[in-house]
Order: sequence, then C-alpha cells, then structure tokens
Amino acid sequence: MTESLIWWSIAIYLLVAIGIAILSRQRPAKGGSESMSGYFLGNRQMNGFVSALSYSATTYSAFMMVGLAGLTYAGGVGAFGFEIIYFAGVSLVAVFGPKFWAVGKKFGYVTPSEMLSHRYHSKQVAMAVSIASCIFLIPYSAVQLAGVGYLLQGITDGAITFTTGVVLATVIAIFFSYIAGIRSVMWTDSLQAIMMIVASTLVAFLVIQNLGGFGALFDTLATEHPQSLTVPGPGLFSFVTFLGLTIPWFFFSLSNPQVSQRLFMPSSLRSMRHMLIGFLVFGFIYTLVSVLWGFSALAAFPSLERADLATPTLLASEFVPPVLGVIVMIGIMAAAVSTIDSIMLTLASMVSRDVYANLKPSVSEKRQLLVGKCVVPVIALMALAFAELQLDLIAVLSVAASSGLVAMVPALIGAFYWKRGTAAGALTSVVGTSAFVLLMYATGNSLLGLPAGVWGIVVASVLFVGVSLVTKPHQDSTDAFFAAIAEELGTQQRRTANDPATKQAAH
Amino acid sequence: MKRSKWIWLVWAVVLLSYLVPYTLLSDVSRWYGSFLFWAVAGVAIIALNVFITTDFKEHSDD
Repeated sequence: MTESLIWWSIAIYLLVAIGIAILSRQRPAKGGSESMSGYFLGNRQMNGFVSALSYSATTYSAFMMVGLAGLTYAGGVGAFGFEIIYFAGVSLVAVFGPKFWAVGKKFGYVTPSEMLSHRYHSKQVAMAVSIASCIFLIPYSAVQLAGVGYLLQGITDGAITFTTGVVLATVIAIFFSYIAGIRSVMWTDSLQAIMMIVASTLVAFLVIQNLGGFGALFDTLATEHPQSLTVPGPGLFSFVTFLGLTIPWFFFSLSNPQVSQRLFMPSSLRSMRHMLIGFLVFGFIYTLVSVLWGFSALAAFPSLERADLATPTLLASEFVPPVLGVIVMIGIMAAAVSTIDSIMLTLASMVSRDVYANLKPSVSEKRQLLVGKCVVPVIALMALAFAELQLDLIAVLSVAASSGLVAMVPALIGAFYWKRGTAAGALTSVVGTSAFVLLMYATGNSLLGLPAGVWGIVVASVLFVGVSLVTKPHQDSTDAFFAAIAEELGTQQRRTANDPATKQAAH
Repeated sequence: MKRSKWIWLVWAVVLLSYLVPYTLLSDVSRWYGSFLFWAVAGVAIIALNVFITTDFKEHSDD
C-alpha cells in the first residue's frame, strides 16, 4: 500500500466522520447539549440502533482484531471461549439495565458513581469510584493509543510513524467528543462499528476462501495443529488462567463506567432492548470473525515470531487486496478511537460530577459542564503522554484494569439487591480491592496459585458484605432508592398489563 | 415462570461453557468440538436475551 493511498483514505474517513459528528448535534430549541445530562447522556433520548452500534464500538477496542486474533494464534480455541463468556456476561444488562435506567430517570444521575453515592448516602463512595476508574482506565486508553501507533507504523512500513499515529488518534478522539459530547461520540461510533464489522468480515471471508474454505481451514488445523482446537490446548489456557481472564470480563458491562453509564441513556426500555440485542448480534459476528483471523494466520503462517504479528501478517499477505488492507487499518484505528473517546467522556463526567462538584458543593450545572469539558483534553493528553513514554507501570495498570474495576461490582449489585449494604462497606470494597489488585500485579500476580482476576471479585465481595454487616445502612436513601425502582418499573408493568395487545396475547 | 427468571438459564450456559470444553471435549480436536460448542452457546445466549427482554416495552412518562 502506498503512502498516498493511506493518507487519502484517512482524509476520506475523517471527512465522513466529521460530517456525521456535525449532523449529530441537536438544535438548541430541543435543549441541545448545554446541560450535564444533555452533553454526557444525550438527554437520555438515544435510540436503540445508534446505542447498539455505539455500545459495540465502545466495548470492542482495537484489542479484538489484533489481540484476540493473536490470542487465538497462540492459545487456540480457548480464546473463543474467553470471548464467549465475556459476551454472555453482557446479559447482566437484561437484569440491571432497567433498574439503572429507572433510578437514572427518577433521580437524574449522570454517572454510575453518582448513583452509588446517592444510594449509600456518601460522597466518598463517588469520589473513590471515580478516582479508581481514572487510575485504571487512563493507562488502558494509553495502551490502546500505543497499539494504534505500533499497528499503523507496522502496516504502513513506517510511512506513518508511531508518534504520528498516536497523535492522530488522540486528536480525532478529542474532536469527536467536543463536537456534541456523547451524541457525536455515539454517531461517529456507529460509523466506526459498521466499518469494523464490514471490513473484518470481508477479510475473514477472502482469507478463508484462499485457504480452500472453512472445511479445509479446519482440516489443516486438525492435522497440523490439533491442540489449537481444544482447551487447555497448546498450554496458554490452563483452567486457572481461563478463570482469571474470564471472571473480570464477565462483569465488564457493570464494572466499566464507560459502558454502565450507557444504561442511563436509552429513550425507553424498548431502546435498551434494541441496544442489548443489537450488541449481542454484532459481538457474536465480530468475535467469530476475529477468532477465524487467528486460525487462518495459524494455518497459513504457522511460524511467526510473535503471536501479535498474526493480524499485520495476514493483512500484508497476498490474500488481502491493498484497498481492503487500508480499510481494515482505518477500521482498527477507528476501533481504538471509539473506545478512547467514550472513556474520556465518561471519566470527564465523573471527575466533574463526582469529584469537583462534591469538593465544591452548590456549584452550578453550567460550571460542572465547563469543568467536564476542560477535563476531556487533560485526560486525552495524559493518555497520549503515557503512550509516548511507554512506562512499565502504565502497562501493568492497563493489564490490571479489568481485574481492578471488578472492585465496584459487589457495591453495584448490592445497591439493587441488598438493603443491608452500607457506605462503609462500599468504600472499603472499592478502595481495598483496587489496592489489593495493584499489589497482586506488582508482586507477580499469584496468591495460593490463583491470579488477581479470580481473587478480585472474592476480596471485593468479602469486604463489602463483611464491613456492611458491622456498620449501619442509611435507611432513608435506601428506602427512596428501592421505592423509585418499584415505582418506575411498576408503572410500566401496569401499563403493559393494561395494554390491549398484551391482554389479547394472554388469551 | 416469570420471564426474568430465564436469566438463570443464561448463567447455566455460562457454567457449561466452563465445564464441557475442559472435560468432555478436551480430546475432540475438530471443528465440531469446543469451537462448535462455544458457537452454539453464543447463539443460545442471544436467543435467551431476545426472550427475556420481550417485555421491555415503550415507557412514555410525558
């Protein structure tokens, strides 16, 4: 692929994406983006289709097409199992989604941490969750950026340098966030999601055709790499490793604020349903395709030096025409950008709503929004700096992100299902587990033979339940919270029962 | 049975996704081994979610 082809493609992509971002702005007459919930939640009026594509693009970072393909190359079919268990975990949205949505609407929450703070009647809980999220997610974004830098440099043979790639992705992410807050992020995400799925499916199709079809591919694997089709297989996916990887990812839809915040945004429960089902269909195809990339690379290029070369090698091979290679390259960049801009926006809303507004009470909504907007580029620049510096610490924090964010899960589940949960329990669980996970990663990630991924949820649950049992819950806020869920969702059930269509169906 | 209770079937699929490939299928090194099992589990998860969320209706409060 030539340098001019690459730059022209990037220019066309940017032009289309910026056009979509500008079109996504609401007219001021409709309320626009000038409030916290307008800017960060799209006024809780997002439709199901855009929500589904954006949820997919945010969840699936550049990790899939590079990382999952590489993981399949190195560890075989266990990589597929890992992703399927994560994917099944998103079913938590079917359970928690309506409850999040109901209290969000009733109390006007902008962030999941604000919800916890109100439920447990403690500002410290909101601040702890927000700060822990920043500690884990900014390095995670930095590693995503660095990944884009390396990939662009690798695929283009140095025509785009590492630094150019990283700076380009950061600038695009800031730009998409700034045009209309979450609205422009979600609409550009939708474009990126479509690009990601179309390009990656096309590549998988072409490559498998060239290898003689699906049957031939799996025959080659069965005869030449039989272990790649079983677990533990070549050794990467021992049962303990598999548990350590899958448990934190199973809770991703609750533990990661950039996706749990999405549960406040749909315009109705019907839209939430479309978001969930749309995501599941997208995720299933995307997972299958990424795994097939890894298998194809293993069948065609069995002796690569490193597993993460699987994708670049496949794209540079004669199986993939240069134009498609460029589209995939942009798709991978888009995958990273769509994850980073959502994380930036969510963290900015948390810093402004849960840290700044709690430190300076009675600060106006307008002021909070201004602070949030100022925090967006600060977070982006921190991620950029970390990506450039390539510190070991950052890599460790990034890897620890999924295990560390599990710290919020017991407090979140308890918020909806356990009236006895207390602020002290939630706070100890969040702070204690985050510190515990970091300590585990700093000291070799093994305690009694088990990794932090397994221990995290155990430690968080024990701390939350144990400390809650010896402290007192705040009765008024607990009652108000549960009453709101019953009221919002109860009204709905009554409506459904009164709906003539439902009555008819019941007979 | 209430529709929402079917979520337990999702968790059962998850449990099987840990158990079956590591026991029954650990020697089946063909496409119809763990690969097919997890693919079917994925489709089952989608179908169950479609069913569980059927009651998510329009909610207009205005």
